Amino acid sequence: MKAPTLFDYKEVVGPDIIEELTILASHLANRSIKMVNSTAVGGGVAEMLHCIVPLLNELGIQVTWDVIQGDQTFFDITKRIHNALQGQEDYFKEDVFNAYLAYNEKNNDEIDFDEDLIVIHDPQPLALINWNQKRKNKWVWRCHIDMSHPNPQVWRFLKPFVEQYDAAIFSSPLFSPELNIAQYRFYPAIDPLADKNRDLDAVYIDRVLMQYGIPRDRPIVTQISRYDPWKDPVGVIQAFKMARKYVDCRLLLVGDKAADDPESEKILEKVRAEAGNDPDIHILLFSPSIATEINAFQRASDIVIQKSLREGFALTVSEALWKRRPLIGGAVGGIPAQIIDGYTGLLVHSVEGASLGIRWLINQPDFAKQLAENGHQRVKDEFLITKNLKRYLLLLLTLDKQKEQTIFLSY
Amino acid sequence: MADVFQFLSSASLEKLTGRKAETLDELLNLIKTCPDSSIFYHTFSAYMKMREIRLPYNNDFSYWISNGLNEKALAEKIMATDLSEYNTLRSLRLRLIDIIEDYRNQKSEAFQKRADDPFHLFDIIRVVYLTDKFAYDLKSFREAISTISIYSIYFHFIECRLEKDLQTNDFSTWIESNLNLPDLAQMIKRIDLNAYTLEGLRTRILQLIDRYLEEI
Repeated sequence: MKAPTLFDYKEVVGPDIIEELTILASHLANRSIKMVNSTAVGGGVAEMLHCIVPLLNELGIQVTWDVIQGDQTFFDITKRIHNALQGQEDYFKEDVFNAYLAYNEKNNDEIDFDEDLIVIHDPQPLALINWNQKRKNKWVWRCHIDMSHPNPQVWRFLKPFVEQYDAAIFSSPLFSPELNIAQYRFYPAIDPLADKNRDLDAVYIDRVLMQYGIPRDRPIVTQISRYDPWKDPVGVIQAFKMARKYVDCRLLLVGDKAADDPESEKILEKVRAEAGNDPDIHILLFSPSIATEINAFQRASDIVIQKSLREGFALTVSEALWKRRPLIGGAVGGIPAQIIDGYTGLLVHSVEGASLGIRWLINQPDFAKQLAENGHQRVKDEFLITKNLKRYLLLLLTLDKQKEQTIFLSY
Repeated sequence: MADVFQFLSSASLEKLTGRKAETLDELLNLIKTCPDSSIFYHTFSAYMKMREIRLPYNNDFSYWISNGLNEKALAEKIMATDLSEYNTLRSLRLRLIDIIEDYRNQKSEAFQKRADDPFHLFDIIRVVYLTDKFAYDLKSFREAISTISIYSIYFHFIECRLEKDLQTNDFSTWIESNLNLPDLAQMIKRIDLNAYTLEGLRTRILQLIDRYLEEI
């Protein structure tokens, strides 16, 4: 399928948003950006780069994207580092850190860094800056992960590299550590034209539901999330059972198992045990790549739940809000940034709260509709990929003038 | 002949400061010591976003005081601060400090409360830029209002007061001084921003122009 152009986004976000991007970009003629990450396919960062790199180029910014190279040893190390930064307990011997640095140095020899702005994504290529200390351009580290409780040993090792950058970008103030460089907030964003989010034909949605044996005779309450204890699928079933004493509905759980997580099978067993033989509870095990079907499940839902107990940002919330679905979300991680309680959805703190939310939204359809409409607007304002394009343009416009409060652009 | 009105707009980048407050005293300290641009971010900038999703709050401070500390009365007092009355951030900052300090006399125990979720202080870098939209007369002004971005509407209706130390908005100033239409200028000046989203504000300005044109 042909990649969407800015013209295609104009239809979705409105012409004024695209015009604004064009004007900002016109002040950046011939400026260049290099994005560097660790994988060309799979994962949210690669997905986002596939979307924004061509759009920034269309705006006249010269953007290139390099992927660092490494073997299994390197990626085993970076996976451990990634997990440790997200709080996992681990102990690293010095040779592990040395190997990480050796791989970064080798990649540094093979990549040119001549662009005006270098954006390094996540910890895998973070240390590249170590061999670029006499640079004339600007370097920014974009951290996409939850750094609220980093493993102290790993953070002690990485922090000196981070502080060599000109700035760092985090998704939330909850994730940003104390640093002696400027820090910016870039929310993660969804692509409204991706298969996961684009408009779908009603006939197709009906067909998907029929294909998976989900009758549409009652309101459907859905959680789409990996089968992981932190997503609390068992709690969702308990909340559904409590709510069903008062309202008639079906529960749909859609998720995949983390391939590298032995706990995944155990939680799926618990989910099945909690559901029992209830014919109104539908448990689907999915590959995350079946994006259009997931889109159909979200659009067919009367209520979407994201009852997480711990969360990074949970873009599944933005995905559902964009589709004008009433949302119930756990008040953790990035969910409260997306759900403003009582205005763009309902925030809950317990199984009981989730159960009350289901009853409330099913019995108050006008209220649910208003929440959903506000939620759609919130996503349009903050969590679409076009907003991230704007953030990158503003970053390029302001990096030389970080001390100024207001910059006037004139031709 | 009227001077041409070239529409401007603004955009901003959010900076994390690492500073936060869990109590009213800590919030007061942030408000007293933060840069002007942080005051701007948590009031003017927040106001724009909150309006579009129809939140009753008009700034981040009142939202946190209401939701984080459950001090509804103080939140309401801060909400009642009309941003359109402030043409310097210094005067707005002093007003916020006064409201919170006065509240200590009314309910000192509120200052003992500690929120579970802290208030995170942000800073901002604003970028102000020219757009390619112009107005020469009332007709072209009306056309431009219907097509400019909500950011441009917001800039000329609210933010401009800070740039130019104005007591009114750019639209009313231009309509009065260049088109010599003081009645229409006054009607636009009297629009209550609290009652409208920015799209609603656009619609309201267009209605006022259309009504004015029908009546003359």
